[in-house]
Amino acid sequence: MKRIIDVKGLAKSFGDVEAVKGIAFYVNQGSLFAFLGPNGAGKSTTIDILTTLLKPDRGEVEVNGYRLGKEDKGIRSSIGVVFQGSLLDPLLTVEENLLIRGSFYGFSRQALRAALDRACEIVQAGEFLRRPYGRLSGGQRRRADIARALIHTPSILFLDEPTTGLDPQTRRHVWDTIRQLQREQGMTLFLTTHYMEEAAQADYITVMDHGLIKAQGTPLQLKADYASDMLKIMPAHPGELSGYLSGKAIPFTVDGGIYCIPLRRTTDALAILDDCRANIGHLEIVSGTMDDVFMNLTGREVRNP
Amino acid sequence: MRAVALRNIKLFFRDRSALFFSFLSVLIILGLYMIFLGDMLREGAGSVPGVDALMNSWVMAGILAVTSVTSTLGAYGIMVEDRHRGMLKDFTASPLRRRDLAGGYVASAVAIGLMMSLITLLFAELFIVLNGGEWLSWTGWLRVIGLMALSVLSSSSMVFLITSFIGSVNAFSSVSTIIGTLIGFLTGIYIPIGSLPSWVQVAVKLFPVSHAGALLRDVMMEEPLKQSFAGAPPETVSQFKLEMGIAFEFGSYTTSAAASLAVLALTTIICYGLSILRLSRKG
Repeated sequence: MKRIIDVKGLAKSFGDVEAVKGIAFYVNQGSLFAFLGPNGAGKSTTIDILTTLLKPDRGEVEVNGYRLGKEDKGIRSSIGVVFQGSLLDPLLTVEENLLIRGSFYGFSRQALRAALDRACEIVQAGEFLRRPYGRLSGGQRRRADIARALIHTPSILFLDEPTTGLDPQTRRHVWDTIRQLQREQGMTLFLTTHYMEEAAQADYITVMDHGLIKAQGTPLQLKADYASDMLKIMPAHPGELSGYLSGKAIPFTVDGGIYCIPLRRTTDALAILDDCRANIGHLEIVSGTMDDVFMNLTGREVRNP
Repeated sequence: MRAVALRNIKLFFRDRSALFFSFLSVLIILGLYMIFLGDMLREGAGSVPGVDALMNSWVMAGILAVTSVTSTLGAYGIMVEDRHRGMLKDFTASPLRRRDLAGGYVASAVAIGLMMSLITLLFAELFIVLNGGEWLSWTGWLRVIGLMALSVLSSSSMVFLITSFIGSVNAFSSVSTIIGTLIGFLTGIYIPIGSLPSWVQVAVKLFPVSHAGALLRDVMMEEPLKQSFAGAPPETVSQFKLEMGIAFEFGSYTTSAAASLAVLALTTIICYGLSILRLSRKG
């Protein structure tokens, strides 16, 4: 598979603070790539470098075949960025905003109009096209932001926390749009998010903390490596179960009468269940989540804003 | 560049409060003039015929000179705000050349300055005529508009240089307030240069906007001067011109229109040159 983003030995300091300490990773073309990490991990710095906003101190970066620092114009034409904050003009209508920003990409007048219509169709911005951006709801704004990033049909779309601060329904809508872009346009999506259920849908995840890459892999791999499934048993005779687990040296915690037993492998549950069959009131096997992965890797809870 | 310029122009005229505030200095000058400065000036001039038209033309020319500063200051406020809001991120991540971006800001400031000056000129002429004065001749209009263009270029270049040193929106609004307050004095509009202490007179003479004022007064007061000073000795006329800041005196040298034009042109070249130097150093 073609690597559409390839980063090697990337480092950036601000004064004494080393924000990014020599990281390497790549993104496959057409994939949904999730870039995770707590606040201050170096994510934003990395994204700012990839989108040509910041110059790195060291390292090599290639985006869509263009070398950063040498062919920035090529990179800028290849990427679309949905920034965390709103960067369209509140006093102008969505249409005016899109026409202005779209004209940065060297379209002819007709081509620009066609590009605008296409971008608006993807995010369904038709209903609020003629309204001032500043008067839109949060969800409409986000859709306008995405339309702006899509106007030149970029190969790679960067989305910096695209769903943060949106209500659940709008979040779903925005998320559906993002997935649709990947499926139907084959666009590569580079995403940061605070929502682990979104990250879990990515093709590939990279977790960053303290300027370094802590782990990379598919959600399944990461869950296998950094989260354990949990066997939960509500026993008929609690003392008996405690004795059995202690005897076998199986670690467990008790929470409100429910015994929680972390599993190395899901199938480890079978032996325990066989041995305790008669003592089981209720049972449940809970899969490890991306939240557990994040917690184990960074020692911090995902901060939900 | 065109897209950025058009965006800025749209933003400027759609932000009603900013639009009002960029007219504020002008409105204050006009208010003070109508309330009492006008009376003082007329009394000072004594009993010359057509003194109303003479003084009205004088203050309107000054207001036009000030407009070139306050309007471009408002226009460059968009640039400061863009920097503050991180708006430049969106521009920088696009294949838009840096010089097209900077050029867009300059072009929009000049265009806004011109439009605001034209609007002010229309109201100024209306004010003069409604108060018993006469319309400018059509060559007068052309000369005034040409001078306004040069005045906008030179004022915008100074404002651009100043804003290149300003990092925050707060600092910018402070600077705007200071400029808005001082400009009326620095160009000798509240009080004619002849009535100011001599060290302030030096500041006024060295300030390029005063030269725009002098040139505009020269054209706009041409006819009123002829009527008011008909038959008066040339010394009286030239003395009046120096008192009112239609020409400036450096020692035994009295500035001509050509000298004032040169001051404006040089200001434009130097200030935009320095700004470009600063911007390209910053990368």
